[in-house]
Amino acid sequence: MKKRRNGSDRAGLTKEPRDRLKSRIRFVFAVFIFSFGMIFLRAFQLQVVRGEALEAKAKLQHERTVKVPSKRGGIFDRNLEELAVTLEVDSVFAHPSMVEDPYRVSHALAPMLSVNRREVERRFAGESKFVWIKRQVDLSGEQRDAIKGIEGIGTVKENRRFYPGHPLAANLIGFTGVDSNGLEGVELHYDRYLKGEPITVKAERDATGRLLLFEDIRGPVRGMDVVLTIDKAIQYMTEKALKKAVDKYGAKAGVAVVMDPHTGEILAMANFPTFDPNDPRGHREDEWRNRAVTDMFEPGSTLKVFLLAAAIEEGIASPNDTFYCENGVYRVKGATFHDHDGKKYGWLSAGDIIKYSSNIGAAKIGERLGKRGLYRYLKSFGFGDLTGVDLPGEAQGMLAHPRKWSGVSVDTIAFGQGMSATSLQLVSAISAIANGGFLMQPHVVKGIRNPSGQPAGSMAEEFYPAIERRVVSEDTARSVTKVLTEVTKPGGTGEKAALGNGFEVAGKTGTAQKPDHQNGGYTADKYVSSFLGFVPAQNPKFAIMVALDEPRKEYYGGSVAAPVFREIAAEGLAYLGVFPRGALPENPPDVKTGIRTIEANRRHSVLDGGGDDGETNEVVSTAGTPSLTAIQPAVPDFTGKTVRTVMRIAKERALDVDVEGSGRAVEQTPLPGGAVPKDGGIRVVFE
Amino acid sequence: MNSSRMDRFLIIITLVLLASGAAMVYSTSSVMAMKKFGDEYFFIRKHLVFSAAGLALLMISSRIPYRLYKNLAYPILVLAIVLLILVLVPGIGRHAGGARRWLRLGPVTFQPSEFAKLAVVIFLAYSLDVKKDRIRSFSVGFLPNMVIPGFIIALILAEPDLGTAATLSILTGVMSFIGGVRLKHLLSAAAVLAPVFYVVVTSFDYMMKRLAVFADPWKDPSGSGWQMVQSFLAFGSGGVWGAGLGEGKQKLFYLPEAHTDFIFSVIGEELGLVGVALIILLYCALLFGGVRVARRAKDLFGTYLALGLTLMLSLQAAVNMAVVMGALPPKGLPLPFISYGGSSLVMSMIAVGIILNVYMKGNKA
Repeated sequence: MKKRRNGSDRAGLTKEPRDRLKSRIRFVFAVFIFSFGMIFLRAFQLQVVRGEALEAKAKLQHERTVKVPSKRGGIFDRNLEELAVTLEVDSVFAHPSMVEDPYRVSHALAPMLSVNRREVERRFAGESKFVWIKRQVDLSGEQRDAIKGIEGIGTVKENRRFYPGHPLAANLIGFTGVDSNGLEGVELHYDRYLKGEPITVKAERDATGRLLLFEDIRGPVRGMDVVLTIDKAIQYMTEKALKKAVDKYGAKAGVAVVMDPHTGEILAMANFPTFDPNDPRGHREDEWRNRAVTDMFEPGSTLKVFLLAAAIEEGIASPNDTFYCENGVYRVKGATFHDHDGKKYGWLSAGDIIKYSSNIGAAKIGERLGKRGLYRYLKSFGFGDLTGVDLPGEAQGMLAHPRKWSGVSVDTIAFGQGMSATSLQLVSAISAIANGGFLMQPHVVKGIRNPSGQPAGSMAEEFYPAIERRVVSEDTARSVTKVLTEVTKPGGTGEKAALGNGFEVAGKTGTAQKPDHQNGGYTADKYVSSFLGFVPAQNPKFAIMVALDEPRKEYYGGSVAAPVFREIAAEGLAYLGVFPRGALPENPPDVKTGIRTIEANRRHSVLDGGGDDGETNEVVSTAGTPSLTAIQPAVPDFTGKTVRTVMRIAKERALDVDVEGSGRAVEQTPLPGGAVPKDGGIRVVFE
Repeated sequence: MNSSRMDRFLIIITLVLLASGAAMVYSTSSVMAMKKFGDEYFFIRKHLVFSAAGLALLMISSRIPYRLYKNLAYPILVLAIVLLILVLVPGIGRHAGGARRWLRLGPVTFQPSEFAKLAVVIFLAYSLDVKKDRIRSFSVGFLPNMVIPGFIIALILAEPDLGTAATLSILTGVMSFIGGVRLKHLLSAAAVLAPVFYVVVTSFDYMMKRLAVFADPWKDPSGSGWQMVQSFLAFGSGGVWGAGLGEGKQKLFYLPEAHTDFIFSVIGEELGLVGVALIILLYCALLFGGVRVARRAKDLFGTYLALGLTLMLSLQAAVNMAVVMGALPPKGLPLPFISYGGSSLVMSMIAVGIILNVYMKGNKA
C-alpha cells in the first residue's frame, strides 16, 4: 500500500472510520494475498510433492497396453505351397469411459460392423476400460477413418487366419480361434511353434485425438512356419477320388490316407465329411474331425494281410501251404463261420485265402498261429497302440490282451473282427509290408521353418523318419507283397484296384459288418468298405488306405474302395513322374504344378535299400516352382558362371559338361531348362 | 485516454491475462473443436470475438464517469433482478447442464448472474457510501446491505448456480466489512446463514454429491470423481516446468470443461508450476493495482466501487483455482480473463474499465 496523497478527500469521513477503512482494506488485501499463497502451495503439493505419482497415473491412462498376438506362422505343404496363411485385418475396440453418447455411437457402428446395436451399447455400459466391439472385420479406408473419428473408439490391426484351399486338408490342418490360438488339427498340435510371442502394443492419443498404436520396441516375434509332409496335389487328388466314391455310394463318411511307406510321411489325408476352416462355426463339430486318426472301426479282411505276415514270419505257413476251408461252413467252439456270399471253398493255399478273402481260411491260420502269436504280431504292427502321429485326438484302437479273448477270438481277430483300428494304424502297418518290414512312425510335419531366420526361410527344425521297430523280415514282406499282388489280379477281390498300365498293385480289400452296439452282434446292412495297399508293388511310392463308412447300393471293399485306391494311385504316380518301365513317353506330360519325385524325400530314408530294381523310370519336368523336393531343371543355366562353378554344379548333378574357353559362360547347348542329352554331353562356351 | 492517463499497470496486467487466456483456450479447445465441429478454430474464433468486444467495452466503460452509477444503482439493480427472474422462466431461460443460466439476446447468449454481480457491487458501493454515517447501526448499516444482495443471491441460487451465489455472498460480506459494518453483525449473520446454507445444500442432491467428491475424489475416480481426479492428474503431469504449451494430454479427452472451468488444470499440465505461479502473480498484481486505484479514488463511492470490482475478480480467480486443485468443493466458476465464455469475459473487461475510470477521475483531481 502506498502512501495516500495528501490532497485526496474522502468526503464525510472522520479520522476513526478512515483509519478503520484503511486497516480493513489492508486486512482484506492481506487475506487475499494469503489465499493466493495457499493456492500456490497447493499447486506445489500437486505438481512437485505428488507430481510423479500423479504423472504415472496419468501415463497409465494415456498409454494403454493391449496384448496382440504376433503374426501366426503359416502352414505349408511339402513343396511350400500355402495351406494356411495369416492376413492382417482390422479389429474395432472401445474405451467405454470415453464414449460420450453410447446410443449415437452404437447406432453409427452397428451397421458398419454388422453387429447388434444393443449388444454394442451394453458393452459401452460395462465396467471394463477396454472392450472389443468387433474382431477381425474387413474395413474400407473410409470406414476405418470414420470409426477412428469417433471418440473412444479405435481400430487395431489383427491377424486373421485364412485357408486358401478352403476345405482342402481341412480336417488335418484344423483351424484357429479368434485369438489366433490353434483349436484343431495341425493348428492345435503345433500351436506353440505357430503362435509366436504376443506383442504388447501401446496405445496413445495423438493431437487429433486418434488412438495410435505403437508396437513394442522388441518388435514382433513371428510364429514359425510349419511345413507338412502333405503334398497339396496328392491331397487334392485323394480328396477328389474319395468324394466321388462317397457321393456315388451315398456313404456316411469316408477316409483316405496316403503314406510314403519308406518314411512314414503322410502325403495326403482326406476326410469326408469335411468343412471350410475359414468358417468352422458354419459346420457341425463332427465335420471337423480327422476321422483317419480319431475314428476306429473293425477292419475286417484287410487285417488278414498281417495274419499272413505273422504266419510266414513264424514259419507256421508259407503262401503255398494249404488250409481246408470247410466248404463254406466252419463250426468251432459253438460258433459258426461262413465265407462271404456263401462261397464254398475247399482246400486253399494261404495265398489264395488272402486272394479270395476266405474268413474260414484265415481262422484256420489264426488257430495255427495261436492267440499269443497273433496278438504279438498285431501289437508289433502297431495295433492297439497310439501311432504317436503329430496330430491331436488320436485313438489307439482296441486290441484286447489274449487273456481276455473268448474261445473264438483267435478266429475272428484273424479276419479282422473283435478288434478295432484307425485308418492311420492300418496304413502304417501296410507300409511295414511295403518297405520291407519296418514299422515307421507316421508323421504329418516335415519341419519347422523360421521365416525370419538366417538364411531366410531355412528350416529351424526337421523331423526325420523314425523307425518304430522291425516287424517282419524282408523276405516275409516280399512274400506277403507277392500274395497281395495276386489280390488285384483278375479274379482277386481287389481287381478294381489294378492300374492296368504295367504297375503291379499290392493290396487287400475289407468289407466289415459294423458291430451293432444296441443289440450286440453285427448289423445286417451296415458296412465299412475298405481297401488297403501299396503301389508300385515292387518299389512302392504310396501306401494307401481307403475306407467308406456305410456305403449304400454296394458295400464290397473291392467295389467301393478299390476304385478310389486306383484313382489316387494312378494320378499320384503320374504326378510324381513315375511310369512303368517301357511306358516312358517321348515328351513328359504337361503337369501344371510340375512333376516332382518323392525320390528326393528318400534321401532321408533309412530304408533306402527298398529295392530300386529298375522297374520304374522317373521323369523330371523342368516346370514348376522351386521347392524342397523338386529336382533342379535338367540342364541348369550356366550363363555368367565361372568354369570352376560350372564344374562344381556338373559334379553335384552328375552332368557331363564339355568346357570350351575360359572366363565366364556365354553360351551353352542345350539351352537352360532343356533335357539332358542321352549321350550326356553339355557344351558350355566361356569367354 | 487522450485527456487523461490510463493506469498502464492495470491495462498491461489485463492484456497479459487476456493473451494467456486466448493461448490456453486455443490449446485446450482446438482438438475438441476439430472433433465436434470439424473446425479447430471454432472456440478460439468466438473467444477472440468476445475478447475484442470486451476490449471495446473496457474502453467505453473507462470513459463513462463512474459517478453515473451512483444514480443508476437502483435501476441497474432492478434490471438485474428482472433478468434473473426472466432466466428462471421456462422457454426464456436456456437450459443447459441441469440449470437455467443463460438468456438469449439476438445472436449472443449471456448469463444474467454475471450482470448481477456487477449490479450488486454497484449497489453496495452506493449503499455503503450513502449510509457511511450510520453504517454501524444494524437496521441501516447492516440490514439493507444484506437483504438486497441476499435476494439476488437467492435468485441465482434458484438457477441453480451455487458458485456464483457463494462468491457473491462472500463478496457482499467482504464489501460490507470494508464499508465499516460491524464485525459483530457480520459474524452473527454468518452464524444465522450457516444452517440455512446447510439446509439448502443438503436439499439438493447434486450439491451433496459434489461435497462427497470434494471430500474424497479418489473414491470413485471413474465416476463422480472423474473430473477432479483428471484435474489432479493434469497438475501432476505438469510438474515444475510443464509439458509445453499445446502438449497436454489431459485436455484431449480426459478432462471435461478443459477450456472453460478447468482451464487452470491445463495451465498446470502444459506450463507447470512455473506457469501456475505466473498466473497467480498476475492475479495478485491485478488485486494490487485495483486496491491502489481504490485507495486513490476521489470519493468513497469510487473507493468502494473499484475495491468491490477488484475483489470480485480476485475472488473468482481464487475460488476457481482452489476448486480445480480440490481445495474447495467444486462449483462452476470460470477463471476471469482466461476461461472461454463470453459473459464472464465481457463482464470482467467492463469491471476493469470501470476501475480504470475510477483511476482517471482520481488522477484528474
